[in-house]
Amino acid sequence: MNAIEVTKLSKTYPGGVEAVKGIDFEVAAGEVFGLLGPNGAGKSTTVGMLTTTIAPTAGSARLAGFDVAEEPLAARRVSSVVFQEPVVDRSLTGRRNLEIHARLWGVEPREAQARIDELAGTFGLADLIDRPADTFSGGQRRRLELARALVSHPRVLFLDEPTVGLDPRIRAELLEVIAALRSRSELTVLLTTHYLEEAERLCDRVAIIHAGRIVALDTPAALLAGLGRQLVELHVDGSVTSALASLRERGVAGPDAFAVGSRVTVPLHRHSSGEAIAAIHKLGLAGAISAREPTLDDVYLRLTGDSLGAAA
Amino acid sequence: MSTAEITIPIPKARTRAVGPLATLARRRFQLTARTPRELFVPLLTPIMFALVIAPALKTALHTSTSYESFVAIGTVGLLIPLNTMFSGLSVIVDRISGAQPELLTAPIPRGLLVIGNLLVALAITALQVGVLIAVALARGIHFNATGTGVLWFLGAGILFTVGMYGLAEILASRVPRQEEYIARVPAIAILPWFLAGALFPIVALPSFLTWVAKFLPLTHGLALMRYGLLQDSTGLHAIWGLSDPTAMAGLSLAVVGGFALLLTAASIRVFSRSAVR
Repeated sequence: MNAIEVTKLSKTYPGGVEAVKGIDFEVAAGEVFGLLGPNGAGKSTTVGMLTTTIAPTAGSARLAGFDVAEEPLAARRVSSVVFQEPVVDRSLTGRRNLEIHARLWGVEPREAQARIDELAGTFGLADLIDRPADTFSGGQRRRLELARALVSHPRVLFLDEPTVGLDPRIRAELLEVIAALRSRSELTVLLTTHYLEEAERLCDRVAIIHAGRIVALDTPAALLAGLGRQLVELHVDGSVTSALASLRERGVAGPDAFAVGSRVTVPLHRHSSGEAIAAIHKLGLAGAISAREPTLDDVYLRLTGDSLGAAA
Repeated sequence: MSTAEITIPIPKARTRAVGPLATLARRRFQLTARTPRELFVPLLTPIMFALVIAPALKTALHTSTSYESFVAIGTVGLLIPLNTMFSGLSVIVDRISGAQPELLTAPIPRGLLVIGNLLVALAITALQVGVLIAVALARGIHFNATGTGVLWFLGAGILFTVGMYGLAEILASRVPRQEEYIARVPAIAILPWFLAGALFPIVALPSFLTWVAKFLPLTHGLALMRYGLLQDSTGLHAIWGLSDPTAMAGLSLAVVGGFALLLTAASIRVFSRSAVR
């Protein structure tokens, strides 16, 4: 059984804003699945629908077999969320925050205490857990929220942009913690992010979402392989359309070469970067030219004509 | 990636409500206990009325001793709306900077969040009313209560508190920011108090306002509370014009009960709907 099944899921907000437009995907039990896209792409709306805080306009979604619209309590029982913004009772202790989650999700008190102590140790919170949450640093609070989400043994864990707003050190630390979740084979994780390296590092598969639609869905390796082993990037002074046509005519670029603004990106499938650069120089097309390995940003750029970094 | 098949337990078909409700109420109480303003600030104005303004009015207007008792009960009618409105404010705080988003993803009916908050608002109001009555007694203000009278008082006080909390919860669900909420409090908590016979009988109002006052739940609540603690049925008579005090008390209790039932049902509905976009 898939842990998450999403079928033609759509959301149109009052006022006519179509945030999600008929998306489909399935996530296998134990998989770490990424929804990658810029702000406003529809990631958080999708998570909202899956966690029953946003009502779908059309389509359906199931968590561990439970329809989120027809059986919301059952769907919520098998899932937990770590929100984009910090969501804790700051004046209560870390332990009390976890206890409340455990009680509401039906974990027996004795089991909950053992589980809280175990998670506090795992997430490096053992010395802090009995202090009020408002004394925690940003990273500690995030780890507390992750621990809280795991107290109830969820089948599905939603991480909605969990590293947004954190400084680089805390972010790196948190990524380590999230990466460790992959060892929990019983746990399915849906992670939303606009950070490419997070998706590449943490996810088994990635769905690239743009303007409410999924424009690509595969493993990070397969998505990158579509752009060859290397690509060449050049800035063109004149018409990029003519430059692309010339490159294709000479066999340097294939149909997957693309242009955004004055920048032309040429995925290399047959040629080496040295051969491609030499051919481009012969054509007299470029001022600045460089070769590098493709990233998910290039995948996103080719599919949407927009850069994740710029869009986020 | 692990692709091993796992067994997903089927949750119990019926969620027990008592455990989660106790958890939610305990949480709200702990949060409130860490915010002393919620406990003490609503007490200040009513105590000022009961202990300072009422005796001053009595002296200035040469009224009888019972006027202090009359106003002491009247101030309960200010304390309850003020306290419930403060409790509603904490719902907005919880939504903006607290753990409410997490609670909305819990596998419990969302109406339990409202009921949990209501239980704490009720307990705190009871504590505050108890303090007010105790301070009034200590100040020498006389009450004339029987066992049955105390029951009328408690019935009116509890039902009016429940209704007012429903109103506060509805307002908190519909108003996005604390500033907007606070701006509406005087119209809801204070204005009716001046019309409901708190400081003087409603018959002293211009006749059209007397009619308006008869429709206010607070008027019925205060008349019942005075009937209960002072054995004074003139407030009930001003509303109903009947000769049987018990019948009039029953009618007013039904009004306050209907107010509580209606507002609680509406608050659960409004909250549950506002929780889903």
